[in-house]
Amino acid sequence: MVFLTNMMFGLFLAAFFYAIVSARTRRQLLALTLAGALAVAVLGPPPAQAQGSLVAVIQSVLNVINGLIKTALNSINSVRTTVSNLYQQATWPVALINQARATVTQMIARYRGLMQNIFSIDLKSATLQNPAALETVMRNHQTGDFASLTNSFANTYGAVPAATAVNAADRTMMDMDDALAVDNLKTLKESDFADDLTLQAADNIEDAASQAAPGSAPFLTATAVVASIQSQALTQKMLAAELRQEAARLAHENALRKRGATLTGDVNAQILNLLQRK
Amino acid sequence: MRNMIASLKQGLWWVWRHKVRTVVLLLVVSLLGPGPVRSQFLDPCCAILATSLSTISSTLSSVIGGGLNSILSVEKNISNFEQTVVWPQKLITQAQSLVGNVRVIFNQIQGVMRVPVNSASLPATQQFEQVLLSRDPNQIAQTSAQYSAVYGAVPNPIAASPQTRDITDMTDAAAQAAMKRAIEIDALADLELQAADEINQSIQAAAPGSAPIIEAQADAWLVRANAYTQSATADLMRVRAIDLANASANVKNGAANAAAVQQQIYNLLKRQ
Repeated sequence: MVFLTNMMFGLFLAAFFYAIVSARTRRQLLALTLAGALAVAVLGPPPAQAQGSLVAVIQSVLNVINGLIKTALNSINSVRTTVSNLYQQATWPVALINQARATVTQMIARYRGLMQNIFSIDLKSATLQNPAALETVMRNHQTGDFASLTNSFANTYGAVPAATAVNAADRTMMDMDDALAVDNLKTLKESDFADDLTLQAADNIEDAASQAAPGSAPFLTATAVVASIQSQALTQKMLAAELRQEAARLAHENALRKRGATLTGDVNAQILNLLQRK
Repeated sequence: MRNMIASLKQGLWWVWRHKVRTVVLLLVVSLLGPGPVRSQFLDPCCAILATSLSTISSTLSSVIGGGLNSILSVEKNISNFEQTVVWPQKLITQAQSLVGNVRVIFNQIQGVMRVPVNSASLPATQQFEQVLLSRDPNQIAQTSAQYSAVYGAVPNPIAASPQTRDITDMTDAAAQAAMKRAIEIDALADLELQAADEINQSIQAAAPGSAPIIEAQADAWLVRANAYTQSATADLMRVRAIDLANASANVKNGAANAAAVQQQIYNLLKRQ
């Protein structure tokens, strides 16, 4: 671009020189003088700026820095300082966080052992050999000795009679009653074992709470809620077992009622037959 | 050399003869020619510019740099506080690992609760027990037939009075419904344990900011579990209510029977 401009300028000067030198009349010379003046007016360099306006521009930049930007930065600093103070003094004060952890630790020390002692008091009360054996196996929180439970149950409550010793309906009902009773005793052994593990989970969560930070506590609360769901599910399983047991008891009584009704009908019929013979 | 001197003389002669043209040419050339370059060191304008730029630089350093440094210091303080007090990575990792431990414990519980407890010894009772303990809602439909096989059917109208048949049927219905509900509740409890394990898995992989969302979901599951527990408790209460009603019906029947016997004795005495 600069080269092109210089070329144009050189050509213009050469043409102007030639025209001035070769002008023949005063009129031509006057026209060329005017053309030269016009070229000077159009192509001449712009007037220089005064030094005062540059200083004014620089001063205005300084004013912006010292005014607007400085105020904005001070405001941001002030807001962030306030936020920092809010975090450290109101939202997550370290003293209160430590106090909360200390409270958890103190409560663990005060209650855990006491509750474990109460919960582990021996409740066994049977005095004879067979009931004592049954009671022991019923309450040992183990799940690997179900056969022993079945034997102890039979030793205490007797086995289902042989088919020749009792009528079929009674035998079936006895077996069902015994089965549901033993099922539930087994379920209770499982449940006792599950209780021990649930208490262990609760202890673990509480121990972790004694060392938690505000940011790690949500994990503990969430897993505690999940543990509550699981605990609730176990409660439901026990309720289901209780439902079976209560239903079986009701069914047993109802079966006796049915048999009573049938026997009464039979007796009525026989009395009627006897009276008719007379 | 002579030629050059002669040309010069001719040129000067031309200039002398054409003074006006020469003046016009000189004026145009001098006005259109490029201006002189100003020195960086000697021009006063550059000195002022340099001073001003230096002032701007020092102002930027003190005002903006200082302000930003203050903000940086506060931000570092906040960041340090958040990393060491609020969300320490080590404690977050510890909490996530605890969730894993709790999962292991409850998986162990789930395993224990699946140990079979079947105890019946006769074919009919074994089948019935298998259905009752199946935890499979698809087997609920088989309950009624197997219940009748073990506990008998409602007596026919010849064998029992209508009132006895009503009580017997109602009692069987309550007992069977409770047994069916027990199968349902077992199945639901299994699903709850499964969902709870999945939720624990999510918590293990969560961030402190996302854990409360999962906790909210767990809370919802807990509410649901409570509802199922209430439903099971309701069925238990129904069974006991029917049992109480049966006891009452027995007393009522006894009273009615006693009145009937009294009437018959009275009739016999009258005949004699």
